[in-house]
Amino acid sequence: MKKINLNGLDMDYYLETLNNGLEIYMLPYTNKKNYFISFATRFGSEVVEFTDEKEKTHKLPLGIAHFLEHKMFEQESGEDPFTFFSKSGTGCNASTSFDNTQYICYGTKKFEENLEYLINFVNDPYYTDSNVKKEKGIIAEEIKMYEDMPDIKLEMELRKNIYQNHPRKIDIAGTIEEINKITKEDLYTCYSNFYIPNNMFILIVGNFNKDRAVEIIKKKLEYKKKQSLPQTKNVEEPDKITKSKSKITSNIEVPKLAYGLKIPTKNLKLDKLELDLYLNIVTTILFGASSEFRERTRNEKILSGIQMEWEVLEGFRVFYLIATTKEPDRLEEEIKDEINNLSITEDAFNRIKKVWIANEIRMIDNIDATVSNLYDDILKYESIVSDRIDKIRSMKLKTLEELIKKIDFKNTSVVQMLPKTN
Amino acid sequence: MKYTKKDLGSFGLHLINTDKFKTITVKVIFHTPIKKEKITKRSLLTDVLLQSTEKYNSKRNLTIKAEDLYSAEIATSNQRIGNYIFTSFILQTLSDVHTEKGNVEKSLEFLSEIIFHPDIENNSFQKDKLDLAKYNTVVALSSIKEDATHYSLIRMSEAYDKESPISYRMTGYLEDLEKIDEKNLYQTYQDMIENDYVDIFVVGNYDNKEMLSLIKKYFKFKKIKKTKESYYLNNKKPRKRRLFAKETIDNTQSKLAIACPISKMTEYERNYSIVLANLILGGTSDSKLFKDVREKNSLCYTVHSLINKLDNLLVITAGIDKNNFNKTVELITNNLNEMKKGHFTKEDMDIAKEVYHTALEEIEENENAIISEILFEEILGIESIPQRLEKMNKVKKQDITKVCKKITMDTVFLLEGVKNEED
Repeated sequence: MKKINLNGLDMDYYLETLNNGLEIYMLPYTNKKNYFISFATRFGSEVVEFTDEKEKTHKLPLGIAHFLEHKMFEQESGEDPFTFFSKSGTGCNASTSFDNTQYICYGTKKFEENLEYLINFVNDPYYTDSNVKKEKGIIAEEIKMYEDMPDIKLEMELRKNIYQNHPRKIDIAGTIEEINKITKEDLYTCYSNFYIPNNMFILIVGNFNKDRAVEIIKKKLEYKKKQSLPQTKNVEEPDKITKSKSKITSNIEVPKLAYGLKIPTKNLKLDKLELDLYLNIVTTILFGASSEFRERTRNEKILSGIQMEWEVLEGFRVFYLIATTKEPDRLEEEIKDEINNLSITEDAFNRIKKVWIANEIRMIDNIDATVSNLYDDILKYESIVSDRIDKIRSMKLKTLEELIKKIDFKNTSVVQMLPKTN
Repeated sequence: MKYTKKDLGSFGLHLINTDKFKTITVKVIFHTPIKKEKITKRSLLTDVLLQSTEKYNSKRNLTIKAEDLYSAEIATSNQRIGNYIFTSFILQTLSDVHTEKGNVEKSLEFLSEIIFHPDIENNSFQKDKLDLAKYNTVVALSSIKEDATHYSLIRMSEAYDKESPISYRMTGYLEDLEKIDEKNLYQTYQDMIENDYVDIFVVGNYDNKEMLSLIKKYFKFKKIKKTKESYYLNNKKPRKRRLFAKETIDNTQSKLAIACPISKMTEYERNYSIVLANLILGGTSDSKLFKDVREKNSLCYTVHSLINKLDNLLVITAGIDKNNFNKTVELITNNLNEMKKGHFTKEDMDIAKEVYHTALEEIEENENAIISEILFEEILGIESIPQRLEKMNKVKKQDITKVCKKITMDTVFLLEGVKNEED
């Protein structure tokens, strides 16, 4: 077992890798009562086609990763995992994203039994024609719920403008039409190819005994064989965005604006984490809470709400900005002006670095936030980042200026969402 | 965790020492009896107070100051708690060990600047700042249907009882905006500072003596006040016949929201029996409603019940297809009737008790939960966590059926999704 210090945070995390490739990441706390366990696979909605060990190619119905996540809760014994966990007051849930699916449980009691049960139920698929059929109604309501959320609809529209071929332009839950095609055989095919030890990891944070955790996991999962990873279809995604501008209407009263910037990373010579830190600091300085942009647009009453996010995927970084505004045309101009006349002062650069370091220290108090950050690290950087504070501290304005020169800030797309006219 | 209460005359100071956090959290709560016309004023007031102060003339300068204090966070909120509005100012800042000496003091001074040194000229707030706050309110009110579940709950409570504070919209009211100007908003501010009952909570790892002197230095209220009105809402007699109300929305999914008043709960029922009854009926992912409406009948993705004991109300919500309205209401009615008849198992009860136990255990892991716990113990006279755990374990089946018999499904509201096919 490797012990790795999270520098600047006075904490150690532990990494154990089983012979079959399963990775176990553990961050024990000594002053907390609660714990959190995640059992995850690197299989998400962006797998739309793959070739298995026997060279057979499978084309998948859209939304199958999410459907499979729902069906994992079905047990041959008829026992409902929610019931099992509730018996010790433990919460349980699951979520599917573009590139991963995770099953989680969290509570204060019966850590060992709950860990064992979480592994068992994810390890033991039970799909039947009738239980697959039953889920279609539930997921259809889930899809409809998201369809009614304007921000989500807007983001999906922007994704279509950003990606030409990449499945990230398709909703994670798929469509009602596609999920209706799903059969139990499809589910077993995906399960047996992607729910394999060398494609999965376990993350445990909080109050638990790390040695007991490893023992239990070994007992339950060590027998599993390493398998060759399925070849997921390689999508050729062009550098350019698909469409620079579009308009849609929706059931809203105040218009919304979505802005996306697509950056191919192949010519950017920074390591992944550094690249993300530098890109993030640009958008934080330009559009963050203490930016001049925010002050100006707020006072001119053209910005009433804003969310920002960077998406990380192989070969690209994509920046999303979603805003509520009564004047989408003016706000669009303001955003483009800001990006095209990009200037970063030493003062703002250093202030944001200080804020980020402070946030790292604050965040570690909160188990939920920590779990989510560590989970992202594992997916984005193949392991937990242990020197983030050092990396932030050593960021240089000069490096940022050089990076900025290499980026095409015109590779952007905008979607305006307007109220319906009737 | 160690709790010390100091009555400083003009306000209550609650010192909570715990080594669980690297931050110090300070929450200043102003309590005022709720009146509909106060809501918009309070909402504009907290908006304006966070835009500028005497020393920091813009929101940007305020934000930069907070960032310089090692990313201190300041937020405000206006919540309805039973018969009261709680206007809160919350500060969270890293303790000096993790920053530099004096960071906590400077952060407290900053919070005090926001509360006690507003940006005032001639006994008025700045007109442009108030205009912006009004504009923000207009936008928030125009966007109210975007969260369909939230909107369905508002409309359901208005159908249930338009006169009751339960139905008040905490975002504010359009018709009240024009009545508020820079001058009378300043009176609202003075009224809050002078007449509201105040509690200050401090959670974190610090020395009590030092903290006490810092609080005394930066937080000075003049008058001694006591709360008078009860926090609990009065019981409303349920309707003889169930009310069905409906509104359409241009959405794909429909939202069902049901108001179930609970008549004449005893203190014991309010704190114990109804809590368990709610967990069994619809409070968890293992509840009767989840298993029946979602898992067995595939009618929805979300279905919950929640209890608001200050309002004497149980609320049930679900996201459904409009064609399944009758069937869903029928299933919910059946499940509630089953509860009244005692058709639930010992295992259901044990599970609910465990869920409750874990929720109480986790309180000390979260600063806000700690503050709410102490506040409610104080103002509602709720028993301490260990006492509650012990009593909850002894709740019997007949206690639950008895309180369930006091529940009436009074108002059934459907926010009916009727998609306009323009898009």
